Amino acid sequence: MVQELKKIMHIQGVSGREKPVMTELAGLIRPYADEVRTDALGNLIACQKGASKSGKTVMLCAHADEIGFIVTFIEKNGWIRIAPIGGLRPWNTLYREVAFSGGTRGVIVPDVGQDVDNLSFEKCYVDIGASTEKEAERMVRIGETLAVAPNLVRLRGTRYAGRPVDDRLGCAILLEIARNLSGKACPHTVYYVCSVQEEVGCRGSGPASFDIRPDYALAFDVTGTGDVPGATPMACSVGKGAAVKIKDGSVICHTEVVRRLRTLASERKIKYQDEILLHGGTDTSMMQGTGMGSKAGALSVPTRYIHSAVELFDLKDAQACADLGAAFCMAPEQED
Amino acid sequence: MDNLDLLKELCETFGPSGWEDPVKEKILEELGPLSRLVREDRAGNLILTVSGTDHSRKVMVSAHMDEVGFMVSGIEDGYLKFRTVGGIDPRVLCGRRVQILHDGRYVNGVIGSKAVHHQTEEERSQATKVKDMYIDIGSFEEGEDIPAAMCDYGTFLSEFVRFGEEDRMIKAKAIDDRLGCAILIELARELAKNHTMLPYDLYICFTRCEEIGYSGATVAASVIQPDIAVVLESTAVGDLAGTEDHARVAETGAGGVLSLVDRSTIYDEDLIRFALATGEKHGIPVQVKKWVSGGNDAGHIHKSGRGVRCLALSAPARYLHSPSTVICAQDYFCMRDLLSHMLQDLQISDFETR
Amino acid sequence: METKSIKQWILDLCGLMSVSGSESYDENKLMELVRPFFDSVERDPVGNYLFLKKSRRENAPRLLLDTHYDEIGMMVREILEGGFVRITNIGGLDPRILPAAEVVLYGEKPVFGVIVSTPPHLQKPGESSKLQDVRDLLIDTGYTKETLEKILPIGSPVGYMPRYTELEGGELAGKSMDNKACGACVIKALSETDPDELAADVYVLFSAKEESSSTAGANVGAYRADPDYAMCIDVNLGKTPDVSKDETVELGKGISLTYGPVVSRKLTDRTAELCRNAGLNVQPYIATRSTGTNTVKIVLGRAGIPTVDVGLPLKYMHTYNEVLVLKDAEDLCRLVREFVCDARIAEEFRRG
Repeated sequence: MVQELKKIMHIQGVSGREKPVMTELAGLIRPYADEVRTDALGNLIACQKGASKSGKTVMLCAHADEIGFIVTFIEKNGWIRIAPIGGLRPWNTLYREVAFSGGTRGVIVPDVGQDVDNLSFEKCYVDIGASTEKEAERMVRIGETLAVAPNLVRLRGTRYAGRPVDDRLGCAILLEIARNLSGKACPHTVYYVCSVQEEVGCRGSGPASFDIRPDYALAFDVTGTGDVPGATPMACSVGKGAAVKIKDGSVICHTEVVRRLRTLASERKIKYQDEILLHGGTDTSMMQGTGMGSKAGALSVPTRYIHSAVELFDLKDAQACADLGAAFCMAPEQED
Repeated sequence: MDNLDLLKELCETFGPSGWEDPVKEKILEELGPLSRLVREDRAGNLILTVSGTDHSRKVMVSAHMDEVGFMVSGIEDGYLKFRTVGGIDPRVLCGRRVQILHDGRYVNGVIGSKAVHHQTEEERSQATKVKDMYIDIGSFEEGEDIPAAMCDYGTFLSEFVRFGEEDRMIKAKAIDDRLGCAILIELARELAKNHTMLPYDLYICFTRCEEIGYSGATVAASVIQPDIAVVLESTAVGDLAGTEDHARVAETGAGGVLSLVDRSTIYDEDLIRFALATGEKHGIPVQVKKWVSGGNDAGHIHKSGRGVRCLALSAPARYLHSPSTVICAQDYFCMRDLLSHMLQDLQISDFETR
Repeated sequence: METKSIKQWILDLCGLMSVSGSESYDENKLMELVRPFFDSVERDPVGNYLFLKKSRRENAPRLLLDTHYDEIGMMVREILEGGFVRITNIGGLDPRILPAAEVVLYGEKPVFGVIVSTPPHLQKPGESSKLQDVRDLLIDTGYTKETLEKILPIGSPVGYMPRYTELEGGELAGKSMDNKACGACVIKALSETDPDELAADVYVLFSAKEESSSTAGANVGAYRADPDYAMCIDVNLGKTPDVSKDETVELGKGISLTYGPVVSRKLTDRTAELCRNAGLNVQPYIATRSTGTNTVKIVLGRAGIPTVDVGLPLKYMHTYNEVLVLKDAEDLCRLVREFVCDARIAEEFRRG
């Protein structure tokens, strides 16, 4: 899983400009899918047809986009002005190396004399080493996207840190599930969706679920933890297993789905924990509330320092999500 | 033919979000015999269908009919209390002329507030709040019927004026988005006149309620389910003396503006490229918006149904949502011509999903 | 047959536990109360209940009546030493009323609890003027941690203790009349209407998640019901001495009708006319943006459903002592009866 994860983390896909990473993901999932396509907004939709005629439709979704920037202006002296896409804050972004979608590298810095705590990106720029507007225009074009340079380092054991873990890790989990289920004659039809534009307000997953009309839907994403100094008390920790989402800022998961995931985890001895996230939303809400609606839930990988360049997770938690997700696809219905 | 009469007529028509009827009537009148191709959907949008050779392909072009305005929320001692409809800066309200539509009749008024002489030191340094303003439509005798009532709608009263060097600039209310409506009417007329057969069905949509964010366009798009949508709009620019280069957004007089990203939409990359190429091919100026701000109907359209690829083509406009919005006349013609060429050059198979 | 009073209907429905996301908790009781008056009921994947009462007319149009069935509340986040429970809010709680409030935690069995409060004797100077975030508050259950962990799963809903009080002017005070009081009016009205009288097939949507979600609930319900026209009924902000007249409606003066860009003006005018003819007083209410109710979700649920937005005046919204006037509820009940039987409106709004 790590090799694949590393590969997809190193291909850029800032929200709305996901094409390169989607192409890679399409190639990786094709061997396990009956059908792979891309929709109008760029969502990658792969399908494994169910073996049973009376089978249900299950939609699994992880977003492939990442937070980043777009070039808005090139200054006379070659500096690049940018605007953020997604929930970026200057204090965890400044003085980092950035990569442009066209390949150019640069560093992101604030205008001189700025108070970093109360700074907006209008007062920041990217230095690409160019000295004139002309030179810069040859290296970067207006409208091009960029992101803090990708990176993944192994810490102790199965713990890793880097970016963009949010949510390429979810995509890697989808690939793992697809591999696991391929050839298993799952009675239910399973759709794997790598969604676009989650970081700007979950704009991609709604249209995808409108098209798929799932009975059940699961999102795979990262979630915050309460296991670091000064954190809001939250019973969710790195290393304690797959987090079964009960609620986040945008959704209350279907009670039946939550119960089913808990039951399966206990039966299969998959390590899990409960997740109630106070802020933030996921594609779960859009899958739940689009069109005819679906019974929706989510499995999360507890991750520290989300949206920074050092998003930290434990691979075992991700594996637990993949195992539990696969088990759910085989039998999504809760028997009472 | 380069003529601004249509734009003038439309801008001077009354149509705040929620009461677009006079604009609808005007549009139908201007479309003349073409109006038989127009239907009104359940949300009150007007949709004109131009049938092409392949009915399985659909393109939607839209502009919103509504403008920012007011609603009367109560009458106190003959003065009308009001709320704004859509985002209006309270600083452009004080002292303005307005029109209230009451029982089919337009009633003139001015927005009053405490005279500067009566204001305290603190009040003078701050913008007056909307709840401290009122609309004065004249005085009435005791027992006399007041020609206004709670729930009446209003707009700014502001003439269409051409000014500047060779009258290149225009000042009017409601340029946002009657300009888009005017371009769409011209487009419909042109297609009909030339008997153009497009290789797809074209839906020309005049939508409601963009300014309040509820957006009739949501409904239009979910009914049509187009492959591609082009939204005609106006976008706030800051090309004023003293503004830093990177904060000017776009320049008036330099052609229509293509948005890359705004608060509600990330626009389709391929469509942006296509629009720029079309401009270049036909020698029509077009520019890219160098700022991230605002939002429009595309925010709803692109998420409707199974998803829609969207492009926004906007007029660079100064002082948006005020009674004196200013644009450059040339930009109107550039947008009109670019849209027309884009629709004729469009190879829809280039935008197929895989 | 003696019909059930509106007060009893309100007590019956508002007393059910239906915190957002847990709308099925009291499903059996709800079905017992409501199901007999309808032809069918469907519970959809987001938790909405859609009841259908068919008209005897052939080819009748479809009418949707929406009243959200969920209520605000809390959710169990963590169980701590000494049987204290850490919680989070569901929907917009009023933090001023939380300290020392009586609540019920709905686990494997209902557990009574009191939200903690620091008495004046133990406070630091200035503390009494500050409000605590619900996420920092605890509930005291009196159980041991070990027992509680067995009967109270994480994610269990928490609601205010249902207690109802009558006031001197014909008012009723208690929890979650937002919005099950409106639901009570709708059900009472339909329970007293013969299918022969119905001008349309009436879909009553007890929508879920109005208080907690911007993406699920009435939009899914309206999409599934696919009506020709709709009425959204919710409580509306009652006038109190501390807020201005033009932001509120008055209690005891009948229902309110919302005017603004989002609602169908024609359907609103017809409804106002209907009220006039029936001798019902109407208070106009202005919403220049969204209505703050399910109306927008319904309108956009399926291709611009013409919707009228009706309000029942209510004071102290989102507290456990919301106050309404029973006479207003009776008015609402009558309006609903007139509306579902109005053949002229039904024909005018039938889809072409």
